[in-house]
Amino acid sequence: MGDYPYAMKFNTTQRRLFVLAPALMALTGCSVDADSGFSGDASSVNEITHSLWTYSWLAAAIVGVFTAILIVWPAIFHRAPKNGPEFPKQTQYNVPVEIAYTLIPFIIVAGLFYFTIVKQNEIVTPQENVKHEIVVNGFQWSWQFTYLDAGEDKTVTGTPAKPPVLVVPQGERVRYTIISNDVVHGFWIPEFMIQMQNLPGVTNKLEFTANKLGEFPGRCNILCGRNHAQMLFTVRVVTPAEYQTYITNLKPEVEKASQS
Amino acid sequence: MTTYAQREVEDMATVVKPTSKGRHFVRFITSTDHKTIGYLYLITTFAWFLIGGLLALILRAELTRPGMQFISNEQYNQVFTMHGTIMLLMFATPLFVGFANVIMPLQIGAADVAFPRLNMLSYWIYLFGGIMTFAGFLAPGGAASFGWTAYAPLSNSQYSPGIGGDLWIMGLAIGGIGTILGGVNFITTIFTMRAPGMTMFRMSIFSWNVLLTSILVLLAFPPLAAALLALESDRLFGSHIFDPANGGAMLWQHLFWFFGHPEVYILALPFFGIATEILPVFSRKPIFGYKGLIAATIAIAALSVSVWAHHMFASGQVLLPFFSFMTFLIGIPTGVKFFNWIGTMWRGHVTFETPMLWVMGFLITFLFGGITGIILASPPLDFAVSASYFVVAHFHYVLFGTVVFAMFAGFYFWWPKMTGRMLNERLGKIHFWTLFFGFHTTFLIQHWLGIKGFPRRYADYLATDGFTTMNMISTVGSILLALSMIPFAINVWITRKSPLVNCDDPWGYGASLEWATSCPPPRHNFLTMPRIRSERPAFDLHHPHIKTEGH
Repeated sequence: MGDYPYAMKFNTTQRRLFVLAPALMALTGCSVDADSGFSGDASSVNEITHSLWTYSWLAAAIVGVFTAILIVWPAIFHRAPKNGPEFPKQTQYNVPVEIAYTLIPFIIVAGLFYFTIVKQNEIVTPQENVKHEIVVNGFQWSWQFTYLDAGEDKTVTGTPAKPPVLVVPQGERVRYTIISNDVVHGFWIPEFMIQMQNLPGVTNKLEFTANKLGEFPGRCNILCGRNHAQMLFTVRVVTPAEYQTYITNLKPEVEKASQS
Repeated sequence: MTTYAQREVEDMATVVKPTSKGRHFVRFITSTDHKTIGYLYLITTFAWFLIGGLLALILRAELTRPGMQFISNEQYNQVFTMHGTIMLLMFATPLFVGFANVIMPLQIGAADVAFPRLNMLSYWIYLFGGIMTFAGFLAPGGAASFGWTAYAPLSNSQYSPGIGGDLWIMGLAIGGIGTILGGVNFITTIFTMRAPGMTMFRMSIFSWNVLLTSILVLLAFPPLAAALLALESDRLFGSHIFDPANGGAMLWQHLFWFFGHPEVYILALPFFGIATEILPVFSRKPIFGYKGLIAATIAIAALSVSVWAHHMFASGQVLLPFFSFMTFLIGIPTGVKFFNWIGTMWRGHVTFETPMLWVMGFLITFLFGGITGIILASPPLDFAVSASYFVVAHFHYVLFGTVVFAMFAGFYFWWPKMTGRMLNERLGKIHFWTLFFGFHTTFLIQHWLGIKGFPRRYADYLATDGFTTMNMISTVGSILLALSMIPFAINVWITRKSPLVNCDDPWGYGASLEWATSCPPPRHNFLTMPRIRSERPAFDLHHPHIKTEGH
């Protein structure tokens, strides 16, 4: 700050730094904390996306904190002097600086875009090793899951009051056919970092492998009418053997339903 | 602060002074003066802002605890539909028209806008379109409840019967015409009515942004009007334009977001302009990188029509790499703007009068909104958090951070120009800090809510979901946010009879041309026109010895 004749009150500057430092630490803390929001291995999508999420936030935090410092800095240190000249130097252009602040962001977003494309292709490209097929039909206001390995009519249907369970095998890739026959719905499993719209008139496909045993909430996230908030389901990840037992036992229930 | 001798102004108001409040009122609402029409816009939009805010408080109150406490699912859907509609199309968009009306002709040295009567017609169309949309609450079955995005086929007559939806569609179509006419008026005014010497590259950034926003209005609002009328035709005449069997579900999303994304920049650009007007005045410096800033704004306006499908990343039906790349690209000129603003303050003589404080609030808030915007430009990350409260938090940081912070900055900054009287500084600062902490308490936590899996537009959640504490914090913040309107109301009331500023430029360092005429300006704005030889004509007039450097 030495070249500022009017910013020489050192103890004032010091005091201002004491205010600034914890504020910046808080800012950094907020940003770094956010990457802990997702599991790194709950599904095949998490394995792909989690690092992108973490490093995108790291890049965002660095850029954000840097810019925040640049915003707060002149607000604190370049105040109008009490006993100085009325006007500062009337600088209007600085071409090298202007080129720098155009090019550097371009390099940053080019990098983010590259990793985005790599990760995105891994998620959306269909693979050969799909073991099971499940049809996810969203309707007002619940879900119907059809286990195609067990047959076209092996379905589980929920209601707003009794959300259904989607049973999937651990470690085996499943292809989901995502459809709707009424309005647009959104098939979203937050824990698995994946979602896709159920579009009427369109057949969407989605593939992933669930890795972690347990139960995870799934929710419709596209507004679909009155009971949108009750359009829930549970994803239950079980071992492949339990999955086989489950879809085998599904048969009688379905037959019973079709008889009645 | 420098003051100047009041020039001899013939007070037109005393010559034809209305004799009663009724006459004054009639004169006010029948005026074709761009300033008066601007005030009508500002007053009306602020009323909608308060109504939209009350609706938001209902939403926050309902979400405080799991279970339905105050309203039903259906009512909740109506309330958030109208909250979004009011805030975007009846508050923020016409607020741009209001500020542009009051300020832009002054900044380019024009006597009025190009089509004064069309201007008045636009206002009345907007007002009645807005009332019509809101009147859905009086209809049997209530207001529209399909969200402000009105996704087909939910918005058709089968899934959303009732006159409320029809009032919503036609009200917005009519109001949209008012906005289109406003855009035509501003473009014509800027192209044909600039004062002698006011070249395009001497025009203030706010006026530049009004021009580019108006061009975006002409690109975005006609497709919206077409989509709305087609939707109404489906509802009323049984046409099949948005029938899912014909691909109507995606057609609506494309048409809507082809309007919807430029709309975000229609809302943002004028308010970036307000911030850009205020920063140089309270840094006592010219804008840093003026021409680069204009180039960045043009780039934003151009790119903004090529990013719409990033709202549809989870639809499985759009070309992800293209829309992702364009979305990342639009971050660059936005970043450039930040550095222009920082460069303006850098090594300036910064002072913190209330308008400047609001601009700092805008910079910090919009910075975080911009950063989450870069996160959301990446489709894999959208697969994780799209349509969740993360997105709700993101767009409130972007839109509230820009529109509301810059709106209050503009109010405090131009209040003396509009009324001839200053607002109270102390109350202004209390207002700012209450709103700043209220806003961040409400919306920062919503990022985590989204990451933890809370979808947007949910009327309810389960006690086992783990959303309760975060929702409670958000609701407490929203109450603080609402309370911050009280110091502002007190401020407007107690300063209504403050002493007149009696000078052209009460802030002392005003740059653009509106600071070279009286506060408030006479009927046709200027009695004398200063020489316009740079982008700071008023500054050159008042501080002729100060020279610009760095060319």
